Amino acid sequence: MNNLLNISTFCHNAVAQLGYDPSQPLMFSSGLFWVLFLLFLPLYALLRNRQTQMMLFVTAFSLLLMYKSSGWYLLLLVATSLFDFFLARRIAASTDTRTRRTLLITSIVLSAGTLVAFKYTNFLLFNLDAIIGRNFQPLDIVLPIGISFYTFRTISYVVDVYKNKLSPTDNYLEYIFFLSYFPCLVAGPIVRAVDFLPQIRQPRRLSSSMVWGGMWLVMLGILKKAVAADYLAQYVNIAFGNPEGYSGVELLMAILGYTMQIYLDFSGYSDMAIGLGRIMGFDLGVNFDSPYRSLNVTEFWRRWHISLSLWLRDYIYIALGGNRRGRTRQYINLMATMLIGGLWHGAAWKFIFWGAGHGAALCGHKALMPWLKRIPDTPVVKFCSWLITFVIVSLLWVFFRADSFEVACEVIGGTFSRFDLAYLPVFAQVRNTWCIVLVLAFALHYLPDGVCADLRRRFIAAPWIVKWVLFVILVQLVLQFSAADVQPFIYAQF
Amino acid sequence: MNKHLLALAGLLLTALLLFGALSFWPDGINIAGTTLNTPTFAETLLAPTDSAPNTTAGASQTESESDAPVAKQKTKPLPAPLDTAAKTILFIGDSMLEGLGPRMAAYAKQNGHTLINVIWYSSTTEIWGKSTRLQELIATHHPNYILVCLGANELFVSDIKRKRQRYLDNILSQIGQIPYVWIGPPNWKPDTGINDMLQASCAQGTFFLSNGQHFDRSKDGAHPTRQSAYAWADRVCKWITESSAHPIRLSKPDFEKARCKTIVYQPQR
Repeated sequence: MNNLLNISTFCHNAVAQLGYDPSQPLMFSSGLFWVLFLLFLPLYALLRNRQTQMMLFVTAFSLLLMYKSSGWYLLLLVATSLFDFFLARRIAASTDTRTRRTLLITSIVLSAGTLVAFKYTNFLLFNLDAIIGRNFQPLDIVLPIGISFYTFRTISYVVDVYKNKLSPTDNYLEYIFFLSYFPCLVAGPIVRAVDFLPQIRQPRRLSSSMVWGGMWLVMLGILKKAVAADYLAQYVNIAFGNPEGYSGVELLMAILGYTMQIYLDFSGYSDMAIGLGRIMGFDLGVNFDSPYRSLNVTEFWRRWHISLSLWLRDYIYIALGGNRRGRTRQYINLMATMLIGGLWHGAAWKFIFWGAGHGAALCGHKALMPWLKRIPDTPVVKFCSWLITFVIVSLLWVFFRADSFEVACEVIGGTFSRFDLAYLPVFAQVRNTWCIVLVLAFALHYLPDGVCADLRRRFIAAPWIVKWVLFVILVQLVLQFSAADVQPFIYAQF
Repeated sequence: MNKHLLALAGLLLTALLLFGALSFWPDGINIAGTTLNTPTFAETLLAPTDSAPNTTAGASQTESESDAPVAKQKTKPLPAPLDTAAKTILFIGDSMLEGLGPRMAAYAKQNGHTLINVIWYSSTTEIWGKSTRLQELIATHHPNYILVCLGANELFVSDIKRKRQRYLDNILSQIGQIPYVWIGPPNWKPDTGINDMLQASCAQGTFFLSNGQHFDRSKDGAHPTRQSAYAWADRVCKWITESSAHPIRLSKPDFEKARCKTIVYQPQR
C-alpha cells in the first residue's frame, strides 16, 4: 500500500492520462472526462458571464480534450477556423459576386479538401490500385477526432455568410469557441453558427431546469451509450464477426440488436453533448426524436440525426436544386445527397451502398406518395407502414455494420435460409440479460413522450440526495455491464 | 457561483470520492453473492507504470507478431532434454478438444502415454478459474503432464486482462509445478487480447500460439474441421518435442486417431 500511495507515481500517472493517445479517445462516458469536467465546472461557473474569459477558458479546455485524442492535429482545427474566419469576413465585405463566389469556393475546397485528405485518401488509393491491379499499401494517416463534424459546421458558417443569412463574427475567439466547443466536437450535433453565436453573446442564466435538465440528458445518454449500446454490441460483434456460424434466429437477433445499438450509441452520445451544453447554458437543439417510430423513410430522416439531415438538406439537396427542377432531377438530387451522406459516415463502399439504399427508399416513397395518400389512415395501415419502414432501415443497417458486402449478404441470407424458431427459447435462455436489455430498449423507445417529459420533470424537482443516488446507481450499472460478457456460442450449435 | 452548478459539482465530487475509494478493491466487492465491480482509478493513478516485466513470461511478442504463422514463432528452441518417460497426460479445455482429442490420443497410444481428455463445453478461463475442478481432476488422476486448450470462447472479451487475468493466474496456480503446455485458441477473427495475456502469463516455452496458422473451418466457421484439427495437433506435438520447456516423447503415430478416457462437462449456465 505504501508503494501504491506514492505521490510522484500519482503525479506521473495523472499527467500520462492527459497525454496524446489516439487509441483512447476521451469519451463523455469515461471516468477521466468526468474528473476533468469536475475541475472545469467551478471555474466555468465563475467565468460564465465574463464573455472573453469564458470563451478563452472553454476554448482552452476544448483544445485540451482534442489534444488528448488527436495530438497536434488539433492545429488543423485552428487553421480551418483562421481561414474561414477571414474568408467569411472577406465574403461579407465584398459586393462583387465573382469575388464572393471565388472566396466561397476557396473556403469549401480548403475545408472539404482537408477532410478528403485525412478521411478518404486511403479509400481513393485502394480503389485506384484495384483498378490498375496494383497491391494496395495504405498510408499511415491519422483521422483527427471530430474533423467530419467541425468541417460541416465551418462550411455551413461560410455558406450562410455568403447567402447573407448571417453576419460574420468580427471576434476570432468567438469563432474558434464555436468550432471547437467540446460538447459538439466528437460526435455533433452539427450546430450552426446562426443558432450558436447569438447564444455566446447572451448572459447565461443557469436555472434549475437548465442545469438538472442537462444532467438528466447526460445521464440518459450514459445509460444509452455506456450501458445498453456497449452491452448489445458484444453479441452483435460476435455474430457479425462470424455469421456463418449462427442460425437464422441468432442472426435476426443480431440485426435487431444492431438496429437498437446504433440508435442508442448515436443518440446517447448526442444526449450527453446536448446535456453538457445545457449545463453550460447553451441550447444545442434536439438531434434524435424516436426515429424507429417513423411510418416512412422520409419521416425517419426527420427524426434520425436531425442536425445532419437538415445540413444535408440545406447545403446539398437544396443547393443541387431540390425539387425545383422537375421530378427526375429531384430523384437525382436525393440520391446524390444520400450518397454524400453515406460517404460522410465513413470511407468505404458499404457506407455508399447504405446511403444509396436510403436514397432509393426516399425516391420510392416520393414516387409512391400520390398513391399512398389515397390509402385510408387506419391503425392496420399505420402498423404496416411502420413495419415496412423498420424492416428497410434495419436491413440497411446490416450493410452499415458488416465488414464487407459479402458478410452483409451472409447475415441477411443466413437469417432467412437458416431460420428455425426452435433456437429462440435457447437464445433467450443462454443470453437472457442481452434479451432483457434489447426488449427494454425497444420498450423505452416507444414510450409516449409525455412519460419521458414527466420523468425529466420529476428528476429536476427531486432532492439532491435522490439525484446523487441515481447517479451512483448509473455509474455502478456502467461498471457492471462493462464487465459482463455475452455468451459467444450456444452449446447446441457447438 | 450559481447554486445549481455548485450542487452539481458537489454531486460529481462526492460520487468521485466514493468510486475513488471503492477502486482500492480492484477485484470488486462481494455483497450477498453478487460482485459489485469497482473502477480502476487507484490502479490507473497509483500503480507504478515501469513495473518489471513478468519473469515467468515467455518471449515477448508484439501485436503484429501474434498474427505470424507458427514457423515464425519467436520461442527459441530450448535446451531442455527430452523426457522419454511415459506420462499421464491430463488434457483440459473447451469444445476444441473434440477435434484435438482423438489425434492426441493417437499420439499418447503411440508413445506409451496415458491421456485423459476433459471437455468442458463453452468453458473459459473464467469458468475454470472460478472452480476447483482442475484441482479435483489432478487429485483424482495424478497427471504428470497437463495440456490446456482454452481461449476460443474469449476471443472477443473486452478489457480482458482486467476481467480474466486473475482466473488465468488461478488456473496456473492449480497446475502448480506440473509441466504443462497451453495451446492457444485457433483464431477465426483477431482477438481482443487473449493471446497476448496467455503469452505473457505462461512460463517460457509453455504457450503454443495457434493464432495465425491456417485452419480449414467446419460449418460453424469457428471450429477447425476434423482433418484440420488433426494437423493442428501434429503441429502442437512437434512443437512440444522440439521447442517447448518440457519436451516429451511424441513421435507421429502410425494411425490417424485413437480413443482414450474422456470426461465431458456440460456448459455452465
